[in-house]
Amino acid sequence: MSKTPGRRTVQCPRCDTPMEVSTATKSTPCPGCHRNIRTEDEVVNDYQARVEYYNEGRVEVGKKGNIIAEVRVTALVVKGEVKGPVRARDSVQLLRGGKITGNVVTPLLTMEEGSVLIGRVETGPRRAALLPPAPAPVAPTAPTAPVR
Amino acid sequence: MPPIPPGGSETVLGADVTFKGEVTYESAMRIEGKFEGKITSKGRLAVGKGAAVAGEVTVGHFAVDGAFKGNVSSSEKVELAAGAQFQGDIRAPKLIVAEGATLVGNVVVSPDALKGHGTAERDAILHQQQQGSQPIRR
Repeated sequence: MSKTPGRRTVQCPRCDTPMEVSTATKSTPCPGCHRNIRTEDEVVNDYQARVEYYNEGRVEVGKKGNIIAEVRVTALVVKGEVKGPVRARDSVQLLRGGKITGNVVTPLLTMEEGSVLIGRVETGPRRAALLPPAPAPVAPTAPTAPVR
Repeated sequence: MPPIPPGGSETVLGADVTFKGEVTYESAMRIEGKFEGKITSKGRLAVGKGAAVAGEVTVGHFAVDGAFKGNVSSSEKVELAAGAQFQGDIRAPKLIVAEGATLVGNVVVSPDALKGHGTAERDAILHQQQQGSQPIRR
């Protein structure tokens, strides 16, 4: 991922704008949408109810951790509980005792025995081939003259 | 592949076999070819590498290393190996997903999955998808 030593490339979880930051960077403004992006690895061991939980780093939800939010991270490790849609750019690890209630989209999902997952899952290197084709965009219709 | 239970026998559907229909067995079955239909058993079912299975499966232990399309209800465990390509719904008390496995579908994995636990939560998630509701953004 990193191009030069001490630097790495992150992508804005909101607008997907890529940018290069120092590995020591804890947060940075996105040049695309000008919103702040957290890039620091985190361990969550408490209750956090938010609209969104975005972090371009590795987030570990500890045994006592409980996140209720739309989660977008680089890597997610769950030993506690997550409620809400999850999108992880690299991987989701659901360990024994962990629970996710929500849709999960990630290229790599690993689940241990004793974990709980309820929701729609899209994972794996060949998941694009299994997804139903997206509906064709509706062509804009020419404005019609009002009926008199 | 899951081991065969002591005293049990394994039914093998070979790589050159294409089968359409309904199968019921007691102990264990391994599919290496193509299968389309319904499988019911309290035993084990393994879908080997290169195999393609489509349909409804209700078994005890289900292990996939090939391609599967359909719905699975397992009373013990579902295992997706690295080569698995799974498309469909899973309802099981345990799910093990190996690195490299592909899974697309609705999943209810909890100790009470077969007792209907998680149905309400899953339905709520699906309803939210259909409504196209998005969380409020700051």
